[in-house]
Amino acid sequence: MKEEKVKKILLYAGAIFLFIFCIAPFVWMVIVSLNKHPDFLSNNVPFILTINNYIQVLTTKSVHLLDYLRNSIIISLAAAFFATFFASLSAYSITRMNFPGKIFIPIALLGFSMFPQISIVGYLFKMMTDFNWINTYYALIFPYITLGLPLALWIMLSHFSQLSKELDEAALVDGASRFQILRKIIFPIALPGAFSTFMLIFIYSFNEFLFALMFTIDYKARTIPVGIALFEGLYGQIPWGYIMAAAVVAIIPVILLIALFQKYIIQGLTEGAVKG
Amino acid sequence: MARSRKKYSSGQTWQAYIFNSPLILITLIFVFLPVAGTLITGFFRNVTFMPNKFIFLENFYRLFGDVHFWQSVRFTLLFVFVSVGLELVLGMMFALILNEAFPGRGLMRVAILIPWAIPVAISARIWQLMYNFDFGVINYIVIHLGFVSSPVNWLGSPVGAFFSIVISDIWKTTPFITIILLAGLSLIPDELYKQAMIDGTNFIQRFYYITIPLLRPVIVVALLFRTIDAIRIFDLIYVLTGGGPGGSTSSISLYAFKYYITGDFGYGSAISIVVFILASALAVLYIKFGNFAGELK
Repeated sequence: MKEEKVKKILLYAGAIFLFIFCIAPFVWMVIVSLNKHPDFLSNNVPFILTINNYIQVLTTKSVHLLDYLRNSIIISLAAAFFATFFASLSAYSITRMNFPGKIFIPIALLGFSMFPQISIVGYLFKMMTDFNWINTYYALIFPYITLGLPLALWIMLSHFSQLSKELDEAALVDGASRFQILRKIIFPIALPGAFSTFMLIFIYSFNEFLFALMFTIDYKARTIPVGIALFEGLYGQIPWGYIMAAAVVAIIPVILLIALFQKYIIQGLTEGAVKG
Repeated sequence: MARSRKKYSSGQTWQAYIFNSPLILITLIFVFLPVAGTLITGFFRNVTFMPNKFIFLENFYRLFGDVHFWQSVRFTLLFVFVSVGLELVLGMMFALILNEAFPGRGLMRVAILIPWAIPVAISARIWQLMYNFDFGVINYIVIHLGFVSSPVNWLGSPVGAFFSIVISDIWKTTPFITIILLAGLSLIPDELYKQAMIDGTNFIQRFYYITIPLLRPVIVVALLFRTIDAIRIFDLIYVLTGGGPGGSTSSISLYAFKYYITGDFGYGSAISIVVFILASALAVLYIKFGNFAGELK
């Protein structure tokens, strides 16, 4: 009885700490973004609420906040789509067909996913320069697909391997091609798995920094994390109010995704790490 | 060869390779080729506007005598050790909390994803503001709670900057460890705990004799995964301290990056190869121990 009580108190204390720990910086960002003076904690600086920071970052053309956001969303959507698509094709063949290399491919890909980005960014930069892709969406979409593929493949493998092979065999007898079976039977059943894969790769691509920093130059392709990291004031002072307002706008898409699809995201994260 | 011909039908093999070709091609071009390129470039004097010259191990000799390189190695290893260790302890606490049923748990699971999902470069800027010497909220709190009498120079001193980076990294990545451990916890059957309670064990005994041993494979996987990730730390440091003050918080990745942007690809590649070797050694362990997770299921 006594143990139960102690446990309960610890549990609630821990839960409250956990909650504050997670959201405090986020809340602080919102508070500063809504303030006229970001240094209102200093003595003699008044606390004045305003939405002027938001109006400024959204309407000043030279800030390019919405350009960065658009670039980020398009690039991440494309990377998530192609990574999920390519991984589904491979996962289908690996779970359904017998061919040399079916063990090697997922293991090699898992090994590749551990490569530090810094060990490829220099040479990739030269390749992108040769392709004339610097400051274009391609320079980020292709590398992001490769960053997402290992995770995508392992999640799709675990979903496809749970589905009975009899589904395929019956359809093969009816004269369906392998691709038709994947498209019309297997993929629709595994759709929740594909969706969590898509979500995760979208979020990872949305967050990526090093490649975006190296391969983009200006608002034509620069993504939002780089845009905000390099946000500087015109007159030497760091415009904290603007930066925080821009940061709030930048993370709205991610917060929306979490609020709507947290179940899929948690599922994908768990499968991705524990199984691959 | 004869054996494999019997085992595989050539029609199916062809078809399977067609299914795998997008994945293989894109991985070869955008991962394999640049890795091979980096490995080769490490043996060259490859500097913009200078002729490319094969110098074999000279970049690596230079590396051995480079004080700043060793400083970045020391910083990176210390960072990995401290932050991953603390993240594991905290992540375990959080996972144990979230594994219990209590009102508001659903909201909590959303809240915990926020630090994980916000781009590091953006959260680094939030932390930068919070660590501000003059009007940062962290100094405000520690002064008003009476921990210190004058403001702490968080980002301006080597020790302060180190712990600033560690704290921000803990905030960002503990949720990930929590979610992984939580998944492992949910696989442990309730009956084990019930039986142990009947046997008169206390909470700590049950944690030590049931939770830890059964969770060990998941802990190993989470640890390796995080360690591999932490070794290549770049964006948090680039935005938060830029490697400063005085290069004291420059990670290996950041140090290599500095050579890349000044056009010294040969030396930058040589530094990258070190990160690569460190991460690969751990990756082999990770792939090996990853099987544990399969057995648990």
